[in-house]
Amino acid sequence: MIPPKEFLRRIKPFSFLREEHLNALTGSLDVAMYGAGEVLFSKDEVCPFVFLVFSGLVGLYDGDELVDLVSKGEIFGLLSALHRTPSYYEARALEDTICYLIDAEAFEKVYQAHSAFASFFSTFIERRFRSFARLARQEESMQDGATTVLVESLVGKAPVTCAPGNSVREAVSIMDAHGVGSVVVVEGEKPVGILTNRDMRRVLVHGSPESFVKDFMSTPVITLDRQASVLEAYTTLLRTGIDHLVVMDRDRVYGVVTSKDVLAQMEPSSSILAIYRKVLKAVDLDELKSAFHAIRVAVSEMALKGVHFYQLSQMITSVYDTVVIRVLQKHTDPHEAKNFVWIHTGSSGRKEQILTTDQDSAIICGTAGPCLDAAEAVTHSLESVGIPRCPANYMASNPRWHLSFDQWKENFRQWFLEPTPDHVRYLTVFLDMRAVYGNGQLLGRLLNAIHESVTNQAVRFLAYDAALHEPPIGIFGIKHRDRGLDLKKYGIYPIANGIRVMILANRMLSVTNTRERIEALRDAGALGKDTAGDLLEAYAFLQDLRLRQQARAVKQGRSEANLIMADQLDKMDLLVLKESLKVVASFQKNLKARYGVDRGL
Amino acid sequence: MLLSEASFVSVDLETTGLDVRRDDIIAIALVPMDGLKIRVRHAYYTLVKPRKYRLQTMKYHGIDLESLQEAPPFEEIAQDLLARCQGILLGHCVHIDYQFLRRAFKAAGIRFERDLVDIAEVEKWIGQKTSHRPNCDELSLDALIRRYGLKEHYRHHALADAFFAAQIFQIQMTRHGIPDVHHLLNQLRNQKVCDTPFLF
Repeated sequence: MIPPKEFLRRIKPFSFLREEHLNALTGSLDVAMYGAGEVLFSKDEVCPFVFLVFSGLVGLYDGDELVDLVSKGEIFGLLSALHRTPSYYEARALEDTICYLIDAEAFEKVYQAHSAFASFFSTFIERRFRSFARLARQEESMQDGATTVLVESLVGKAPVTCAPGNSVREAVSIMDAHGVGSVVVVEGEKPVGILTNRDMRRVLVHGSPESFVKDFMSTPVITLDRQASVLEAYTTLLRTGIDHLVVMDRDRVYGVVTSKDVLAQMEPSSSILAIYRKVLKAVDLDELKSAFHAIRVAVSEMALKGVHFYQLSQMITSVYDTVVIRVLQKHTDPHEAKNFVWIHTGSSGRKEQILTTDQDSAIICGTAGPCLDAAEAVTHSLESVGIPRCPANYMASNPRWHLSFDQWKENFRQWFLEPTPDHVRYLTVFLDMRAVYGNGQLLGRLLNAIHESVTNQAVRFLAYDAALHEPPIGIFGIKHRDRGLDLKKYGIYPIANGIRVMILANRMLSVTNTRERIEALRDAGALGKDTAGDLLEAYAFLQDLRLRQQARAVKQGRSEANLIMADQLDKMDLLVLKESLKVVASFQKNLKARYGVDRGL
Repeated sequence: MLLSEASFVSVDLETTGLDVRRDDIIAIALVPMDGLKIRVRHAYYTLVKPRKYRLQTMKYHGIDLESLQEAPPFEEIAQDLLARCQGILLGHCVHIDYQFLRRAFKAAGIRFERDLVDIAEVEKWIGQKTSHRPNCDELSLDALIRRYGLKEHYRHHALADAFFAAQIFQIQMTRHGIPDVHHLLNQLRNQKVCDTPFLF
């Protein structure tokens, strides 16, 4: 009945609360107004309330430094109030501001009593943004199912097994007895292969009913833990292109799922697998083109359904690479393949392209290789398939990036020696090189050569570049709240670029994906565990946010924008966005200190 | 006295009609304020059993007859109400609520006298200071709620209206930096805006 309760009810995480808890909060609440300039509480004071902004704008200050801005629907003073510790900042009203003041004790009681409500704050404090986002999208992901349903739920039958030494005849009678289309071949408990109806065709031609199972089974088997999500099963099917997955319970075979079982769970994302098959079977460019268009639509759907960036980018990279490989096969002689390597650079090199794909490619030619004309033909074909040319012309069809191994090696040597702005830009693009087609050893050798020619000077320049664009405080600034924030410039690039610097300094360039790079740096001890965790969370969140934004644009037929507006975000996203940008800012500080950027270039 | 040291109670009543002599109170909502801080925690709402019923009004308020018959009569809660109505009475066209309350208290043998602050009058006074003369329509509670950017969640519930009146008063005082209670009360004596059309 009383309006503050209705206000709370509409704001996450208060919206998770039951009536009695909402009543408990409104029953210990005051509404206060502060004129512009007024101090709400001072630094080192224990905050007596949890503040929730109803209207206006509050600045949080550490001395004279503005640390954060909070506006309508946002909370502050929480840590100090809950832990009864002195606040580490001062809160000052920057406009006339109305706040709800919730007694710390009442807040704490509700916090203790309600797990979803509490995990909202605790995941936040611990910066586990992904579980946070899961919490926020609880209902949506329920609908989608794929990310929450476990693969074990698809297993309908106890496993049907036979031994490698059984005859095919025996295997078939086992299959018939159980009414299944496949039998897992086990040695002891360990699965060593799988014999399916499909394999029978080969038995028919090359064998007899008395042949050994081990001679005709498909091997190795692809296994998945029973606790894996259906989505993982799906991406595994995509990656491997097979039809049967063996589901494991620790070391024991738990059952078998087929691509059909998985697909039934995956509407509408099943369309991606269908499209992927279409790509594989396409006989001409028109078919590839229609498949490529269809995939953008399907991906947008999935992004809006709450499928995460990491999972989607994995799928898309598989499809995108396959398209490129198909086109390359069309335009090059198969014998040539060991004489060159086709490389993707930039975000495609990092396996991070999703909706905004363009051609970032290069070529390393060995003793021989496709001529420039062939590369141009590939580029042209890809363009007609629907992958636009790289506007900056970082493409294999450009003579500058169509080079022999020695020429590439020399390029990097020169870029490292003279890190001019142009060279820093080239390094930013070409240090994310991933082999897509051809002889991967050429790239491996080049990476070794790069590792040997890195200079400290170049690392410092790259670190400087990565730390150049500091995210604005309070995201939308005081004056420019209507202007929006460039997620790519202030969030995604600083992390991707900064991580690249560290990967370079640690000579680990063969890892190209930012997430894998962070994990590799963490495992090598180059990044602290907590920092790595924060970065992984922040990067995943920023990419997710950008992906959803782009997906919405694709769906509405708008051009894709990197600008994100405050009013398009729900409070939860805004809160996490702010925290993610704090992670970015502290990472930049860290980079500058580590590589001596502060001392000047 | 400083505004920040004064106590206010924002009040809103539902009645069976507009005639103070004939009609009865059927619901009372109180939202107290310490200075300009709204004490939502002490907000109070009760139905009151009337002596007679007018079905039409009740339909309008959405209060059903059965709940009213179970509600306490005014006499029964008079002492509690008196204790809750400390300080200056605040409301939208609070004069009318005040008259209903006075009469009900009187019937219960209690003398009830309070200073009044009508937020419509405050608005008119502020208008004069800023040389904007609001007309009657602009002074309705709905119009004030809109002007001060407060969403209408649940209108025509006494508790919501009492809360909105408190919040409007809070904004009026903060924005215009009025520090002193007596200054405010004196100014308001010259403003007479509240006629019956504002009641709903």
